[in-house]
Amino acid sequence: MTGPAAASSGPSGGALRDGLVASLALVPSVFVYGSVFGGLAVQAGLTPAQALGMSVLVFAGASQFVAVPMIAASAPPLAIILTTYVVNMRHYLMAATLAPSFRGFRRRWLALIAHVINDESFAVAVARSRPPDAWVYLGSAAAISGAFVAGVAVGTALGGLVERPERYGLDFAFPAVFLALVAVQLRRRTDWLVAIGAAVLAVALALVLPGNWHIVVAGLTVSALGALLLPLDDTTEPTGTRR
Amino acid sequence: MSRVWLVIGGMAVATYLTRAPMFLALARRPLPPRVRLWLRLVPLAVLPALAVPLVLVRDGRLALGLANPALWGAAVVFVLAARGVNLLASVAVAVAVVALLRALG
Repeated sequence: MTGPAAASSGPSGGALRDGLVASLALVPSVFVYGSVFGGLAVQAGLTPAQALGMSVLVFAGASQFVAVPMIAASAPPLAIILTTYVVNMRHYLMAATLAPSFRGFRRRWLALIAHVINDESFAVAVARSRPPDAWVYLGSAAAISGAFVAGVAVGTALGGLVERPERYGLDFAFPAVFLALVAVQLRRRTDWLVAIGAAVLAVALALVLPGNWHIVVAGLTVSALGALLLPLDDTTEPTGTRR
Repeated sequence: MSRVWLVIGGMAVATYLTRAPMFLALARRPLPPRVRLWLRLVPLAVLPALAVPLVLVRDGRLALGLANPALWGAAVVFVLAARGVNLLASVAVAVAVVALLRALG
């Protein structure tokens, strides 16, 4: 383990390797997750270049899964972009927690490193030490981003092979992924309240609002109500949507 | 084609705006507790807001009937994932259930 002084004065190969090795257990599932995204994106009508470009430029799996069916349904671009923003708002929590570990890095590197903030590397770095070590985090981010993008590349190649995906229920994979992500995050009774409240409001709005606005409106309204009215919990970490 | 790239560009900018500001500000003070709670609750609200209408709303109408294959698929994936079954396995089983029910119906 390197101290903050070492971390800010230069690269630390040991910690970098630590982070990489600690993330290897996650590499297969991130790779498969990426390949599922690549496959479904191509089936939904994106080109392989678009699926891959989105994965490199956005690099946030859950929000990409969210965007693809919206793009396929020709939802208004602004609705897709705002929904992406809201799904990814959890990054604020992770960025705030990670930031102090990166004091001493040049700003242009920080601007680049910010782009690879992801749930898995955050979890790995925070599990290793408090505060998280910058180089452990970077080692993990290298492993996770490589696995994700490689998975997407393989998925786009395979996805083109399946004709008529709805015949195999593959269109259902999108809501299924979202429901699985919710199911693993419901810990407290109040979590259920928020999730069910948002679902009910979203269904009601979906029946009256055009263009998928129900997602952003219901998601923001119910989470904000929850944050205002529910008792404060002891959470310091984002639960995040696992990529 | 170019419309999709425009959307991807917008998504990239929007997502970068969730990552970079706090990171570059090197925030030393933790966020206020209510804000932290809100950020934690956002995914819990957004994901059901996304998923449940996809399952229950068909062509602008409620599809609550048991003949709706997606309803069964949703129940399956939710229960499996909540019981700790691997995400991809849960999704695969649910997709298979939906495909089977569609084939039968």
